[in-house]
Amino acid sequence: MSRVANGAASSDRSAAISRRRMLRGSGALLGLPLLPSLLRGAESSAAAPAGEAGKPPVRTAFLYFPNGVWEKDWVPEKTGGDFELSPSLQPLADLKSEVLVLSGLDKKHSHGGDGHYAKTANFLTGMPVAKTTGKDISSGGISIDQLLAQHVGGQTPLPSLELGTEPVISGIDSNVGYTRLYGSHISWQTPTRPVAKEINPRVVYERLFGRQVNAQTEEAESYQNLLDYVLEDARRVRGKLGRDDQFKMDEYLDAVRAVEKRIEFATSGKRRSWQPPVDAAELAGQKPGVPADFREHIDVMLDLMVLAFQTDATRVCSFMFANDVSGRNFSFLDGVAGGHHELSHHENNEQKITQYQQINRWHVEQFARMLEKMRSIREGEGTLLDNSMILFGSSFSDGNRHDPDNLPILLAGRGGGTLTPGRHLAAEGQVPLCNLYLAMLRRNGLELESFGDSTEELAHL
Amino acid sequence: MGLSPVLFPTFTHGLFVSRLDGLLPPLRLASLGLGLMLAALPVALAGEEEAALKKWESTFDRDVLPIIQQKCVECHQGDDPDGGFDIAQFQSGEIVSKKADVWEEVGKRVRLKEMPPEGSPPLNDQQKGVLHRWLDSRPADDTCASLATDETQAWYRGYVMSRRLTRTEYRNAVRDLVGVSIDSSIELPSDGAGGEGFDTAGDALFTSAIHIERYLAAASQVMTAATPEEEQGLQSTQLAIRNRLLVAVPDETLAADDAARQVVAGFAHRAWRRPVESVEVDRLLTLYAAARARGASFVAAVREPLKAILISPHFLFVVEPESEAGGIQKLTPHQLATRLALFLWSSVPDEELLQAADAGQLSTDQQVLEQTRRMLADPKSRALGENFGMQWLGLTNFLTSVRPDGEVFPEYNDALAADLYEEAVQTVAGVFREDRSVLDLLDGQVVYVNGNLAQHYGLDLPTDAPWQSLTTTDRRRGGVLTLGAVLTSASYPRRTSPVLRGRWVLEEVLGSRVPPPPEGVPALEESTVSQAATLRERLEIHRQNPDCASCHNRMDPLGFGLENFDGLGRWRETDAGQAIDSTGKLPSGESFSGPEELKAVLRGRAGELKKHLVRKLLGFALGRELNKFDQCVIEDCLEALNEHDQRASKIVETIVVSYPFQHRYFKAAN
Repeated sequence: MSRVANGAASSDRSAAISRRRMLRGSGALLGLPLLPSLLRGAESSAAAPAGEAGKPPVRTAFLYFPNGVWEKDWVPEKTGGDFELSPSLQPLADLKSEVLVLSGLDKKHSHGGDGHYAKTANFLTGMPVAKTTGKDISSGGISIDQLLAQHVGGQTPLPSLELGTEPVISGIDSNVGYTRLYGSHISWQTPTRPVAKEINPRVVYERLFGRQVNAQTEEAESYQNLLDYVLEDARRVRGKLGRDDQFKMDEYLDAVRAVEKRIEFATSGKRRSWQPPVDAAELAGQKPGVPADFREHIDVMLDLMVLAFQTDATRVCSFMFANDVSGRNFSFLDGVAGGHHELSHHENNEQKITQYQQINRWHVEQFARMLEKMRSIREGEGTLLDNSMILFGSSFSDGNRHDPDNLPILLAGRGGGTLTPGRHLAAEGQVPLCNLYLAMLRRNGLELESFGDSTEELAHL
Repeated sequence: MGLSPVLFPTFTHGLFVSRLDGLLPPLRLASLGLGLMLAALPVALAGEEEAALKKWESTFDRDVLPIIQQKCVECHQGDDPDGGFDIAQFQSGEIVSKKADVWEEVGKRVRLKEMPPEGSPPLNDQQKGVLHRWLDSRPADDTCASLATDETQAWYRGYVMSRRLTRTEYRNAVRDLVGVSIDSSIELPSDGAGGEGFDTAGDALFTSAIHIERYLAAASQVMTAATPEEEQGLQSTQLAIRNRLLVAVPDETLAADDAARQVVAGFAHRAWRRPVESVEVDRLLTLYAAARARGASFVAAVREPLKAILISPHFLFVVEPESEAGGIQKLTPHQLATRLALFLWSSVPDEELLQAADAGQLSTDQQVLEQTRRMLADPKSRALGENFGMQWLGLTNFLTSVRPDGEVFPEYNDALAADLYEEAVQTVAGVFREDRSVLDLLDGQVVYVNGNLAQHYGLDLPTDAPWQSLTTTDRRRGGVLTLGAVLTSASYPRRTSPVLRGRWVLEEVLGSRVPPPPEGVPALEESTVSQAATLRERLEIHRQNPDCASCHNRMDPLGFGLENFDGLGRWRETDAGQAIDSTGKLPSGESFSGPEELKAVLRGRAGELKKHLVRKLLGFALGRELNKFDQCVIEDCLEALNEHDQRASKIVETIVVSYPFQHRYFKAAN
């Protein structure tokens, strides 16, 4: 028995041993670094009896874009199924029947605080963002994607994906009293723990599909021994630390356990509740290079998200087109000369509004392209898009005023038959965005009383 | 023409923020309704100590004593008071002053809601407020030897100090320990910032699963690269790297297991920067034994514990274990060595520093200073430029986030960006390594360029010239203000911005705060603005509004003084056919024209730069927000500068022997 003896972990030892035996027997492929190869998943599906594919699961994604929208060109005039797409939503012309346009939703806990950080960190939590330049960082609650991942993440190699395109904004904003890292995180594993996001497409690809290591069971065993070892180290260290420092060690412990679970998933040979109809050879050819520019970066990241959903590598994903306050230069668009944030402060100047609106529209185009792709992928009786709920929005409405009401929110897909898209729903009064989140959570099988500041489930979806 | 791509664009226009919000820590304390007590209290000045003490005593008599009499005295009086504590004896502030220590305990017990005990009428929030405010207002006798703790500062919760290494520190540490750099394909997630604006703040460092994946991948990569199975055929550097790790190999006289023990113990000692207990080595060796049992070679098997050492929290975290009781604790020599290395090198201690700690030769100030001087002279002190400096100047993400418009600036490319960044690093690092005056950061004569950058700036060097320092006398370049990276990042993609540049100078160099524009300031009338031809005219109209003027009068002139530099930091005399007007006049009445005179004016405000730089360095070194107890260190640093020709090393030397740097406070873990 070569497994490291580990007193404190004795309770899961028998499980680990059997896991090891399983591993030896199965000749598993392991992704490097570490992650389960989906190719392996596809192989075992081939081995499964035909006709046992099961019902495709619901995939849920949250796409965030920074700096709000020019509302007059965003919100459609009419409501119901008979609405006409607004100028900024025109790129969805061919997808109108696949999208719910939601207007009038509100994030009441963002009415105070500064213009950006207090709005963005809680985009998916709905709760108050702690005003701080570093100490006691808090987004007020767990984010909806992470809560979903806790619930459905055990069924896929990766519980969730957190993607973006820019590194964390460095520094603090001492003028408004917030650390800028708030503007770089929408996924929060706990109210006080943001999840690091992946911004390099190549790394995302490796995490999803790994490199094939044929029957390298030694490698898997090495990783598992190392992780067991450091878990025990961390437990011992934790006992010697002050209170606040213990929280930090808990983060480390949780992160190590999460990686252990992923390895376990890859090596367990566990039968999936549903096996995606994926051609391994087709996937292998899609390894992305280093994107030459921002547009390509967005393209590749959205493609990877679709690929992850298609292959059932994960069922939950968050994506930030850019960090908040992003000054990304959009001069590549005809008629636009300047940075995103700069132009979002349009000051009711027509010329700037026009450019701002073009940037909004460009983001909708990217969203539409992704939806088209998802609609083209057949799955079960319908399409991948039919089995998805893809939310797309920003954390305040007008970039000049930073109002967290009448949020620009779109919800695409049919949620596995639980949504009726193709309509514009206008909320009346102060309806929390979290009412929508509660509806999405329940459609994923989470029977919660409430989420964030929700008052009830958003009806008529 | 519309107003101003110029106005406020990168500001975050805040909504209404009440004054109280600024004083409240988030959530947890707010819910107690006692945030007011955190208001910063003035530190008594030397001559005023007596008066302050009298005032403190009379506050007790007037405000606190009635509360004590109402809520405490009933149990805590007489010959046999509860808990053996007679509070009734304190009938006046004067008596309290003589036994003030007891009152810190009183405050602590009340704070922890231990007193009054359950079942007795509690202090209401107002009363608690009075008590803690009074406790906090106790004139400090000597803040040079104290820290913020929950006894010296009301509702103090402490900071996270056992933090993980930042991305930068982790990379440097692995490189220095193993001798092999982490492959760039193993991309670590970036870190945010807290405290005084640095990633060294433990509260703002988080660990996600993708960190662990990368740590594993990196440990495998570097250990495999550093320890080839066979010695044969290796170049001398490869051999040196291998031998530094494999300090013992099995032979006729040394059994394999014993060799493994030496290798593992040696590396754990260096990587964990402390003595390693034999039981710890035993545990590490089980990984070796497991690999051997699978049939692995000695080298392959010993790699396993070596990898484990690099993903253990003992390596990844700055672990400063606490004493049972919590409270203030002086750092051990090894903890101090790690703090020093992180501060000066953004890495872990080298062998020499570690040996000093091992030998107990890091306990006197003199010993600490000797190591500090050695470390500042080491090339690794470049980290003060690359890590501290770039975070201070806001250039951390320069290479990824700053993207001038390709149509307006086709000359801009990755190579130029890298050179601009390198110039900034060397400019800050050089002041420390060569121990020059910190005023060189404002207005120096040394410029760091290579051939490519010299060509960009129009300096006379062959295009393939290596990096070198040039001396300039025209005051156009030199110092951080006129760094190409700064001028580029404080521009818009297509043009310069006097507002952004002015704000940058005010905030990052002079340490001023520029509040977000007030809500509800109407944009300028279209008609007025469109008549104004130039940027300068538009901004002048803008400043006619008093709401705008209070800040823009401070910012804009500074930015105009830099108008001779284009959006990529190149010198220019004209813009679109118009002569550059680089004049500016500050609210103080001082006026200037061009960067040379601007720098002369700013020299008159050198005190602001010095104070800001000291605060920043101390915040970086401590990894937390500064508080009133750190004020003493700041003043000591400024004094040391003035006494030593403003030499940069004096700040560092003052910090490393200061009380806050050598002590830490723990909130007991229950």
